[in-house]
Amino acid sequence: MKDTIITAQMKRRELMLWLACFAVANVVNWVTIIKFATPWYEVFTQLGYVVVLSFVIYALIGMVRLAWWILNRTFRK
Amino acid sequence: MNRKEFLSDCGKIGLTGVTLSLFPWLESCSDKTRQQTSGEKVRMGIIGTGSRGLFHIQHLLQMPNVEVVALCDNYLPHLDNASQYFPKAKRYDDYRKLLDDRNVECVIIATPLYLHAPMTIDAMEAGKDVFCEKSMAYTLDQALEVYNRRQQLGRVLLIGQQRLFDPKYIKAMQMIHQGVIGDVVGVRNYWYRNNDWRREVPSPELERHINWRLYSEYSRGLMTELACHQLQNGSWAMGMLPERVMGAGSLVHWKEDGRDVYDSVSAIFSYPNGVNMTFESIISNKHFGMGEQILGTKGTIDLVTAMHYTDEPAPRGSGIHQLIEQIEQGVMSNSVFAGTSWAAETSSLAAGRPIMQDVKVVSGESSVGAEADGSKELLEAFVNSVICGKQPEKVLEESYYATQYALLADKAMHEGAILTLDEKYKIPYEPLK
Repeated sequence: MKDTIITAQMKRRELMLWLACFAVANVVNWVTIIKFATPWYEVFTQLGYVVVLSFVIYALIGMVRLAWWILNRTFRK
Repeated sequence: MNRKEFLSDCGKIGLTGVTLSLFPWLESCSDKTRQQTSGEKVRMGIIGTGSRGLFHIQHLLQMPNVEVVALCDNYLPHLDNASQYFPKAKRYDDYRKLLDDRNVECVIIATPLYLHAPMTIDAMEAGKDVFCEKSMAYTLDQALEVYNRRQQLGRVLLIGQQRLFDPKYIKAMQMIHQGVIGDVVGVRNYWYRNNDWRREVPSPELERHINWRLYSEYSRGLMTELACHQLQNGSWAMGMLPERVMGAGSLVHWKEDGRDVYDSVSAIFSYPNGVNMTFESIISNKHFGMGEQILGTKGTIDLVTAMHYTDEPAPRGSGIHQLIEQIEQGVMSNSVFAGTSWAAETSSLAAGRPIMQDVKVVSGESSVGAEADGSKELLEAFVNSVICGKQPEKVLEESYYATQYALLADKAMHEGAILTLDEKYKIPYEPLK
């Protein structure tokens, strides 16, 4: 088994990706606030759910990336 | 529940100056009154030592400020039963002789209905304060006579309408008056039992003496024995008295045993604002038991179970929660068979909320009495009032009208007519609101 090297660039990319997911999750929260006419303070009070949602989106994107990586690797061979 | 527990319960519902001003008769149970009566003792006589009399005796035994000095019953086994609890008390078989006893300060009257009014008047005229079982009288005229004589003589007079002293009713009425259930739009009362309402009779000649409830010569049946308790709910909740009364009664099941009071009754009491209060009682089916419900535009309060049910939609979750719910419903719903486009308007299954903790629910099945239904507190209020020499406010008027409307409904049933209470029976009435 060989060592895995996670470069600073990779870390930055993943962090940026999660931040993008967090932003999307926030947008989802705002949309639900508008759609269901709930109070705007939910922008803050629902932050816990927003964080969880951001990880869910991040995980979903991760699955797509994994699938893409597997396909890429298969066809390269 | 002892007095301490009652006061504690009253504390939970906030027996404050505001509550006392709304429900002033509770002054007779207040800390102030309790302090005033501490160490004092009343000498009491009990007229009628049957099942209800014995029920009161169980409470009296727990009251240190009561000394039972005289007992009266014209049925010896009942008198003997009561004497076991108070062996030193004098025994009488004629209530007039008991009333002549100067040692007796006040009396409990727990006799058949037709005797309530004459005995109450005689007792007050003999200078005794009186606690009389409900209903107040056998006829409309008698009830008025009792009320007027009390006003003239100034004695303490309480009638056995114990709901006025039951903490859960007090709390519920407080909430109703605060508008928690919106405008009151209906009052539903019912009382179902499945028994013949009979007491065991040792020999046939005692049938009417013991089972007086079953004969119209002595009782007005379900209206005076049961309805009378529940009819005060409407006036208490809405602060007004019914305008019109109608009803129907019949003997549908217990036809063969010689009774002549109805075993099935339905009555409607219509208020000036258009709201109706209903009372229904059947004693050949007990599935629904006893119920007293105040229906408002925003919700319902069940007085018997002390539960509050709201008609308003349950508070919805946050936007995100609602989105998740929608997604769940989308995933779980059957895309082929959509839901029905209508829903039958069956009873709401929404879980209610208790209006106070540790509520004692009374089933209404016992024809003698139930624990924690306000009876003991009412009796204590009477004793305190006797000691203080002060008639509790408003409570007699509530009892008076509960009796009058029970009697009027019975009359409406027999005449098949819609009746109003004659002006001559109206007494000064300040609503409990």
